[in-house]
Amino acid sequence: MISPRSNTFRAAALLLRVLLGGIFIYAAWIKLRTPWEVFAMSIDSYQILPVRAVELVARTLPWFELLVGILLVTGLGLRSAAIATSLLLGVFFGLMVRAYATGQQINCGCFGPGELISWKTLLRDGSLLAGSLALTWMAFVRRRAAG
Amino acid sequence: MRVCVFAVAALWMGWAAAPGVDPGKVIGTPSAPITVEVFSDFECPACKTFHENVLPELMRDYVIPGKVFLASFEFPLPMHRYSRQAADYAVAAARIGEYLPVADALFREQQSWSASGKVWEAAAGALNPAQRKRVQALATDPGVLAEVQNEIGVGQRVPINETPTIVVIRGSRSIPISGRLIRYELLKQLLDDLAKK
Repeated sequence: MISPRSNTFRAAALLLRVLLGGIFIYAAWIKLRTPWEVFAMSIDSYQILPVRAVELVARTLPWFELLVGILLVTGLGLRSAAIATSLLLGVFFGLMVRAYATGQQINCGCFGPGELISWKTLLRDGSLLAGSLALTWMAFVRRRAAG
Repeated sequence: MRVCVFAVAALWMGWAAAPGVDPGKVIGTPSAPITVEVFSDFECPACKTFHENVLPELMRDYVIPGKVFLASFEFPLPMHRYSRQAADYAVAAARIGEYLPVADALFREQQSWSASGKVWEAAAGALNPAQRKRVQALATDPGVLAEVQNEIGVGQRVPINETPTIVVIRGSRSIPISGRLIRYELLKQLLDDLAKK
């Protein structure tokens, strides 16, 4: 097993956090440059939240994604950021799987409008979730090794 | 709902069509601050829902009061067997000022003609005998066929990935939105916010 102190481990952790952070910043930027109602419509199409909650999520989630992205890229509060990333991606992935399994032909809402949920989006988000879980594990293992 | 749609039929004028669309397929005041372009497929169930549930409210609150200029574009998807044919009839009907009644009829009878292929029967139900003759002739006119193809081309340049897609235009800003399962309340909020800017 690769040691948490090895260069390979560190490089893999750096690559994962910069990649995930960059993706989160990009996703946030796409949402923030369009009116919040557009993202609200994507959330609403999942049909799980009342309209008030949809509005709240649409107005706040992109800022949260931006914050998490910046934390990942800079490496500040890495364990908390990695947990938040895994939780967010876990929820997104779960909702997408549910929509796909029930035959809902709706927009993923991941990177703005115009992207229907498909096996490709599931594969992409599933890979991101796997990467995020790996990063979370790495962040804790490295901490333990350092402590 | 239907009453509202027919009430605005008088506004269905080709004063100054949106670029790339037949003048018979626009509604409202061209100088309205916001333009809404709807890219739709007559055989798509989500387009039927949008046409029957969201469009009448949009017309009532924004198009008739002159706040929104509405343009309808055909975007028949290759996966739908008869939607191109339906688009041809609809554009032919637009040439004689009967787009909306024919579009209403095609969406209303969608389930039936998409199974049987009897598209003309559904479209003809909205027309009188004289209009039927003209629309049937126009539906094979090269100009009409080119018009449908042109509208598909406009959609591809957006680019449209699904139907219905609504493109909200305010000044130089163009916002494409999925029309699937769209909640009118949110569309209304968006239009109100854009109108303030």
